[in-house]
Amino acid sequence: MPVDRQPDDVARPDILSVRGLSAGYGPMRILHDLDLNVHAGERVGIVGLNGHGKSTLFLAIAGLTGWQRGSIQLNGHEVGGTRSQGPGRYTHRVVRRGLALIPQGDEIFHGLTVEEHLDSGAFTKTAWRERRRRKAWVLDVFPPLAKLMSVSVGRLSGGERRMVCLGRGLMSDASLYLVDEPSLGLAPKIGKSVLDTLMAIELGESAMVIAEQNVSLLEGRVDRIIGMHAGKLKGEASVSLAGAMRWEA
Amino acid sequence: MDWGIIAVDALQLACIYGTLAVGISITWSSLGLINLAYGFVFAAGGYGAWLAAEHLSEHGIAVMSAGILTGALFGIVVWALAFLPIHDKPNFTMRGMIATVAISLIGNQTLMWYFGPRAKALPEIFGYAQVEYAGIVLTANTAGTVASSIVLLGVVLWWMKSSRRGLEIRAMMMNPHAASLVGIGVRRTGLYVMALTGALAGLASVLLSQVYYVSPFAGTTPLIKGLAIALCGGLGSIAGALIAAVILAVNEAITAATIGGQYVLITQFGLIILIILIRPRGIAGILDRAREA
Amino acid sequence: MSEDPKQRRWRNPIARWGRNDSPDELPIQEWQDPLQPWRENRAYKVRLFRIGHFRYYWKFRGHGSRLWHRTRWWPTRRRILLLRGGYNPKTLRAEKTISDKRPVYWIMAFALMAIMPFLVPQNLTNTLLSAAAIFAIYAAINLCWMLVIGTAGIYSLATYSVVGAAAYGTAYLSIQFGMPWWSLPFFGTFIGLVFGVLIAIPAVRLDGFYYALLTLGLNELCRVYVLQSRTFGSATGGLYGAETYIPQQWSSEHQLMLGYYASVVVMIMALSLYRLVDGRRLGRILRMAPEKREAFAEACGVNYRRARIQVFLISSTGLGAIGGFYAAHFRGASPSLFGIELVSLGLAMLVIGGMRRAEGVVLGTLIVVLVRDGLVTWGPIRLILIGIIMLAAVLFLRGGLFGIKPQFRAWRDKKKSENRSTRAEKGGEMLPEESTECRDKDQVYFRRFDKMQRDFLKTLVCDEVIEEHRRQPLGQHSEALERLLLYFRRQPQRDKYAIQAIEPFKAYRIVALSGHRGVAPREVEEKTYPSQAAAYHGVFLRRVQDLLET
Repeated sequence: MPVDRQPDDVARPDILSVRGLSAGYGPMRILHDLDLNVHAGERVGIVGLNGHGKSTLFLAIAGLTGWQRGSIQLNGHEVGGTRSQGPGRYTHRVVRRGLALIPQGDEIFHGLTVEEHLDSGAFTKTAWRERRRRKAWVLDVFPPLAKLMSVSVGRLSGGERRMVCLGRGLMSDASLYLVDEPSLGLAPKIGKSVLDTLMAIELGESAMVIAEQNVSLLEGRVDRIIGMHAGKLKGEASVSLAGAMRWEA
Repeated sequence: MDWGIIAVDALQLACIYGTLAVGISITWSSLGLINLAYGFVFAAGGYGAWLAAEHLSEHGIAVMSAGILTGALFGIVVWALAFLPIHDKPNFTMRGMIATVAISLIGNQTLMWYFGPRAKALPEIFGYAQVEYAGIVLTANTAGTVASSIVLLGVVLWWMKSSRRGLEIRAMMMNPHAASLVGIGVRRTGLYVMALTGALAGLASVLLSQVYYVSPFAGTTPLIKGLAIALCGGLGSIAGALIAAVILAVNEAITAATIGGQYVLITQFGLIILIILIRPRGIAGILDRAREA
Repeated sequence: MSEDPKQRRWRNPIARWGRNDSPDELPIQEWQDPLQPWRENRAYKVRLFRIGHFRYYWKFRGHGSRLWHRTRWWPTRRRILLLRGGYNPKTLRAEKTISDKRPVYWIMAFALMAIMPFLVPQNLTNTLLSAAAIFAIYAAINLCWMLVIGTAGIYSLATYSVVGAAAYGTAYLSIQFGMPWWSLPFFGTFIGLVFGVLIAIPAVRLDGFYYALLTLGLNELCRVYVLQSRTFGSATGGLYGAETYIPQQWSSEHQLMLGYYASVVVMIMALSLYRLVDGRRLGRILRMAPEKREAFAEACGVNYRRARIQVFLISSTGLGAIGGFYAAHFRGASPSLFGIELVSLGLAMLVIGGMRRAEGVVLGTLIVVLVRDGLVTWGPIRLILIGIIMLAAVLFLRGGLFGIKPQFRAWRDKKKSENRSTRAEKGGEMLPEESTECRDKDQVYFRRFDKMQRDFLKTLVCDEVIEEHRRQPLGQHSEALERLLLYFRRQPQRDKYAIQAIEPFKAYRIVALSGHRGVAPREVEEKTYPSQAAAYHGVFLRRVQDLLET
């Protein structure tokens, strides 16, 4: 039975609505029938331990898991459905519908310069037209990149690569940003500053979902925190409650 | 020994080889496919040009564009048969290569069956004019070959460097997984790449048919030479392929002028083996400075 | 309230005592049988599919440990047949099973090959016997090739040029110096060894495609050289006139038959070479160090470079010997041995039958040679047919014809496990991962029961029930409300709602118990209730909401 939502939630349209999503790889089932709604202008945090399906949720939304079932609606367009082969075959279509997935680890193009890299982020048609403006904005967000514009990405350090990756994600004209473990593999200070940057971005009509292992990095700074445990979304807490909630490790 | 003639020959050969090797190199690096059906696409392009000359017009531009279009068409055929069905299946690189071998077998035999083993001659598309300057005879054919291949290669390289599609192809060369994450469709990009490289093969075919003839197996030697040059330049590197094309063309011209035409392949392969043994990744191994990770 | 005569009604049992704060009679709301969720939950919902069957093995009498079963294939330590002895669990009869039937099939195939010349129809004997000899020679070549391409995983395309070089060299020796036919394989061995060293050097340094393309180039180099060189018969289209082992005074039929049997012997020798290298230490080492995993193999102490050079030398020696036999069989050699078409056909033979299996190589060679040399009248179409078969094999099959069975099994298992995992039902609240971690296994069952119960209770909540509770929080209730209240009362102390009297009979508030001794209850809402009954109803509403939200 659906739970009544707050009136202001109802007024805003759903950017992402996931219904009964199960996904996995071969005989392994990682996600178990989960439902998730993300509204426009919302920043959602997903916390959970390693191996409980945070990244798989993101990959399933992008169509990159081994198999998946269930409906995923992005801006009202169905991008999910039942699929059991060809991971990544339709990812570009999902991306064109307005998804920007910033994956865990570095998925970079070694030989391209930082500038070309940012351009490649704006590959979708609408973003390509205004890539100069978006580039300026990304440089505003990540000022250190300005000096590196003509450097080949293969020669950057881990933190810089992470910034390039995030910048590439932000370049796209997306309505939903999925950020997977932004602080992973970075020095705590840099990780925190990367998160600060993510929090400072004005979302407007788009939405952002951040997966993190470390609750304290998100606490009190996102609109909702959702716990993830063993492939299920556990309890949902609004920001006022988030401080009071204790997550069982 | 006449250095002028050698230089002109070398230039002409370098242009044709460069066109072929760049096509092979782009295919490998962006699709991960060794296209051994390139010789078939080459021969098919020649036949397309010949058909156009027979039935439509003998005008140079018509013949050349017919060759280029046929090449692009058969590039797409190769894409549909060898890339589309298996590109995300395990062991694609080997299976793709063997599939192109099969396509080449089928295609060459079909050409043989349909057109017969007799060689066909293309009309002289650049005319018969000659210019003599400082003892060097520059025929229209040489000039046309050089000019058209440089123009087409230049256009292709400029387009790859600066356009959205070019960025797409280059991004897919580097990391296909990340490419799909920024919205690049691997299959569609593969289509563009194969059409493009097919067009390059068609052009090379028309250009080379000015000297040799169009025959069902005319593509074999150019395929092997193009492969060897792409290999020598380092598979996947366009700059390396161009440098290797120049080196090997100079070698071929010098060998032909000094020792004799039948030793060309021997010195060619000696040189290639030498380069490859010194730099197992070809010339691109020297050029490439990006951090591997 | 609709007055349906059939509707069941609830009568207040204490109505006759004349209480007027509650109605005497109420209609009973439609509600589900409480056992329904229990039955539904326990029902076996998984659809059963009839797929697959147990493998059927023929059982022989007697147990498998008799002495003669321990006979080995000389010089290996393999048994003649891999027998598995055991006792039938039902009848206790001693029985044995052949676990690996391949030797049986091989022996049947060899027997068929031995009597083949007497089975073919008279008018086809010439075509078929010469085709069969070619098949046997090509199968031998492909088996040696498979040592490099399958076992070592190095894509060398220069195999046919090794054979060609040996054939040309020995033919030249035989024509120029009159070497007898039996010496040709030995000279071929030597030429093959030299060639093997030549092509093994780059193989150690180059990887994958670089090597494949380089060897393709070498092939073309040989072809052009042979086509242009006068000593190797550029004028006559091949070098012919070598000594042959076939006596010329025999009738042509007997000549063909001798050629066929000799070729089959060569093929059997190649098969045993393949078995000796692939099935023993060298093969293991090579399969441990395929392309891109050399570093791992090296870390395990495997000297893969040495193993690769060894396999190159062994295979080239074998190829050279076959080349010598080729020259003695066909009385010479032709430039087509170096053609790229033959390389494509060779790849077709490997791909159609299946790489890395001797039987696959032999079957693939058989198919290709049958189409190519058996249907000569078809012209180029037969090569197109081979190309189409090859394309289909490479597009749809992972391991050729002999790989169909494992590929089908793998596909079926993948589908099966995917389907199983998509329909895996959550038993209760706990997922399988959790329940393995949980110490108190009663919790697993209890949570499952609890979930069923909540699912059932959710169906009972309706406006009438809430209205009934609002009217009278305490006292006798209808069955639905009573079930709900019983469930609520049974909840654990932690986070249980309680009513705190701020001021008796005037102000009450809802708090939640901490569940720990000495820890004060926490306040859950600001609202105060004017009476105890109102506070009771407030607690009830909160609990109903909690129930609906889970």
